Amino acid sequence: MTDSERPTETDGGEPDGGTVREELPVTGVDPDHGEHEHEFPSTGSIRRWFITTNHKDVGILYVVTSLFFLLLGGVLALLMRLQLWTPRAVGETLISAAAYNQAVSAHGLLMVFWFLSPFAFGFANYVVPLQIGAKDLAFPRLNALSYWLYLFSGILFGVSFFQGGTFSGGWTMYAPLNVPTFMPDVGATTAVLALILFVTSVTVSSVNFLTTMHRMRAEGLTLRRLPLFTWTILLTVWMMLFAFAALLAALMILASDRLLGTTYLALESPAGSLLWTHLFWFFGHPEVYIVFFPALGVMAETFQTFTGRRIVGRKWFIGAMVLVALQSFVVWMHHMFLTSINLQIKTLFMVTTIGISLPFDLMVFALIYTMLKGRIRFTTPFLFSFGALLLFIIGGITGVFLGAVVLDYEFRGTYWVVAHFHYVMVGGVTALVGGLYYWFPKMTGRMYDEFLGKLHFGIYFVGFNLLYFPMFVAWETPRRVFDYSAGLTVWHQIATVGGFVLAASFVVMFYNLTKSAFAGEPAPENPWEYSTTAEWAVPSPPPLENFPGVPTYRDGSLSFRRSGTETDGGVAVATGRDHGHEAGEHASHASIWPFVLGLGAFLTLLGLSGLKGGAFVEGAMGDVYLGTAALGGAVTLGSLVFMGLEPFYGPEVVEGEAWPFSGVENGKVGMWIFLASDVVLFGGFIGAYVFTRVAFGWTAWEPVPENPVPGLVNTYLLLTSSFTVALALVSAEKENKWGVVASLVTTFVLGVGFLANKAIEWEHLYHQGKWLSTNVETSTFFLTTGLHGAHVVAGLIVTLYLVARALRGKYLEDNRPLEQFGLYWHFVDIVWLFLFPLFYIL
Amino acid sequence: MNTIVGEAILAAPAQVEVIPRGTREFVFQRIFTVFLLLGTLVGVVVISYMLYNAYKYRDGADVDDGSIDRPRLGELPSGGGGGRKLFTSFILSTIIVISLITWTYGTLLFVESGPPQDDALAVEVTGFQFGWEFEYPNGYSEQGVMRVPVDRAVRLNLTSDDVFHNFGAPALKVKSDAIPGQTTETWFVANETGNYTAQCYELCGRGHSYMTATIVVMDPDEYEEWYAATNGSAS
Repeated sequence: MTDSERPTETDGGEPDGGTVREELPVTGVDPDHGEHEHEFPSTGSIRRWFITTNHKDVGILYVVTSLFFLLLGGVLALLMRLQLWTPRAVGETLISAAAYNQAVSAHGLLMVFWFLSPFAFGFANYVVPLQIGAKDLAFPRLNALSYWLYLFSGILFGVSFFQGGTFSGGWTMYAPLNVPTFMPDVGATTAVLALILFVTSVTVSSVNFLTTMHRMRAEGLTLRRLPLFTWTILLTVWMMLFAFAALLAALMILASDRLLGTTYLALESPAGSLLWTHLFWFFGHPEVYIVFFPALGVMAETFQTFTGRRIVGRKWFIGAMVLVALQSFVVWMHHMFLTSINLQIKTLFMVTTIGISLPFDLMVFALIYTMLKGRIRFTTPFLFSFGALLLFIIGGITGVFLGAVVLDYEFRGTYWVVAHFHYVMVGGVTALVGGLYYWFPKMTGRMYDEFLGKLHFGIYFVGFNLLYFPMFVAWETPRRVFDYSAGLTVWHQIATVGGFVLAASFVVMFYNLTKSAFAGEPAPENPWEYSTTAEWAVPSPPPLENFPGVPTYRDGSLSFRRSGTETDGGVAVATGRDHGHEAGEHASHASIWPFVLGLGAFLTLLGLSGLKGGAFVEGAMGDVYLGTAALGGAVTLGSLVFMGLEPFYGPEVVEGEAWPFSGVENGKVGMWIFLASDVVLFGGFIGAYVFTRVAFGWTAWEPVPENPVPGLVNTYLLLTSSFTVALALVSAEKENKWGVVASLVTTFVLGVGFLANKAIEWEHLYHQGKWLSTNVETSTFFLTTGLHGAHVVAGLIVTLYLVARALRGKYLEDNRPLEQFGLYWHFVDIVWLFLFPLFYIL
Repeated sequence: MNTIVGEAILAAPAQVEVIPRGTREFVFQRIFTVFLLLGTLVGVVVISYMLYNAYKYRDGADVDDGSIDRPRLGELPSGGGGGRKLFTSFILSTIIVISLITWTYGTLLFVESGPPQDDALAVEVTGFQFGWEFEYPNGYSEQGVMRVPVDRAVRLNLTSDDVFHNFGAPALKVKSDAIPGQTTETWFVANETGNYTAQCYELCGRGHSYMTATIVVMDPDEYEEWYAATNGSAS
């Protein structure tokens, strides 16, 4: 990352109050930028939204789409509240029992996955690059891809309603209710696949955000100095990277049970039910903080802005969040206090649970004390944040009840839990709605109507408490049940009324924001007195490349360095595998392939939903499913190839803060981060294997392949191929083209040898009557080694691509793609070194 | 009057011991009440303090003497003061939470150590879609109704024939997961005769809302009579 011609001249000036921008002239903007933007359709064009990769556009797409899913999840909630108007005896239900179960499950899944996190990540997309002083995310096309995968996963989930009914086992999806024996509908399978697609989107996004936030901060903006919203997103994304990998393992196991007929979670599996609860809650508890942290970030920002005070105990606040993020991975069993876990484990998890609640006390007090000596302006964003803090205090106190295990025993499965987590999670939503009002002027360039905003808050706050507070009173009602004891009817009726009031408040919001987006007062750069973060120092909405120069905090406050005429500063990094382009070229903002790839993935999974027990459903429908899957596969592969060939340049990385990855280029950081999540994925699979085997009886369990020799041969093949990948890199450094080609071809041949050997081995096993669905031993063997095999296949496809390019002399000057691929390949080999003894020898 | 007080004091060690022990209902109510009172108190104090300050420092309230250094656009984020106050509040809340939870831990140990009587009646409970089956020591089993004697501890061993269920009787404050392939254990003592409803607390499919059973708490003699008549045969 050389920046040889660092201009020494800055034009920061002494910022004072909200007028700093006036002193930051918009000079030094490269004249080419204007021309470049010409090729990019305006925001009024539909085409723009399909091809955009710009973080601000993607942010808006996320926000709008997530609000759509809020409506969908909200309508389902209202349906539930209507059903709960009175206790419903058999035959007196408004919607059928099956429909109610679907509404309950889909409401939870939609709100947690398709609304809450994406809503927060709309803001993260828009604001984080601005706050850290980056022109865009590190990999803009991957960012667009994340969005499209998210959207299509939501559509896929929507489709599931029409395939005999969607998943109906609750958002926790407990086993074995979640397997086809008990839930045979195709729609249930589709819902699981939709979740897998969603998790893929999250993983891509996590890698992207982490690379960006660690590598592309403005000079002077060390981690300690990050604005609090960005801090919360940073921690959220780290949690997401690992938690969602665990969920991915759980979902892949579930999907495999549903599609291929493996028996991990089946009734006859030795501990299928418990395996699921462990896998799910290992994800599920960090998820609570994943959805809440961004809300905390919004609260921190808006409290500071609208009280005109810097946050009290900033260091402690950040420390508390870091502690929570780490500890969130060791509290999951408090969701399982009534399962067969023993007293020692209960005690341990009781302690970790109390431990994780305490940092939140500190954060709450920090926010409250920040108000002292302030000049508090009760604008709409502040009202929502302030309300959120109130609700969170109630949610937190009622959470302490659940931390007392003796009380938890009785609260389990009741409305106490429902009320508590709605106070916390919808409390979080409250802050995020505040965030929407806070950044609305920045995102649209127009002000919202303040009166309607306050009206929204008033109705919202009343509706919220009418809806959720009676649930504490009627806490003895079992969850997900619509026939409750008659004495509780009045409380449920108040809640139902509250639900409709809450819904009505959103009508006010949608009216206000829609109207204001087109006809509101034009917003200045910084409509809020005492805001500090960089997004308020650029126009509303900001120009495509965000800043008038290179943002820097070198002098202790934000200023923009002139970019001068033609610096060759900063090594631009492209997201494609080809990095060889002239310095000085501009970041691209358009690519259609993320959209097409999302569409391909959607079709593939829609087709696969017709699989059950390893075969497509009988008849014409089966052919339709098979055809859809094949078409989807072709579209996916095609768009991957086109995406690889498309010339595309990510934003330049200018010299700035990059701890702890300074001196490592973005692509490599991204690969490392991705591999970290892959470690957790395989960890989930290996953990599932060990857990099942222990429950089965470790020694009674026989390794599936009687003969370990094919596995041993494969170990040698893979190890050798690791060596040849390293040789390819060495040859590239020596600029030996044929050396590179030969090494890569050898790698490919060794990989194919590995797969061929495995195919022969599997065929033998098949003829011995051992296949995926035979029993739980074979299920774990085929699925885990199969997942590894899929990693090998993916690696080989990339190898072919690398060979094709190496033949044209690529990689001699810029061998980074080889190095990144090498990392992946070594990782795949290392995984095998674990799998081989576990599945062949022990 | 005096004698009543005197008796109460004599009986006190049994009734007012620090760690609640007794029926599941008793320990729950005792702990729940304390939590509810303290929780409400803390909530009211914190929220009032918050509202008071929000009002006191509202814009235009003229408490700003202009000497305060306000945040500026473009500054590097830093914290305000007030660390000591923050720390004090944090320590205070930590003490409250930890002492509360530690207090309940004694009761958890009591509950976990099993029924307080040696002659506990053992009933095997099996959940299925969508009902409950109860099997008695003599091998007699019945679906939908569990009969137990009053004032005698009942130990439940729970499992499931199909999916994950959860057996709970809210009035008796007894609850446990019923998991296929696993056995969980819990216990309760009923202090009054009568009928109690037990329900499934884990979503288990279409019939989940109606997956109930009746617990009939009987006079001990009546119970013995009934039990003798079952004779180990299935209903």
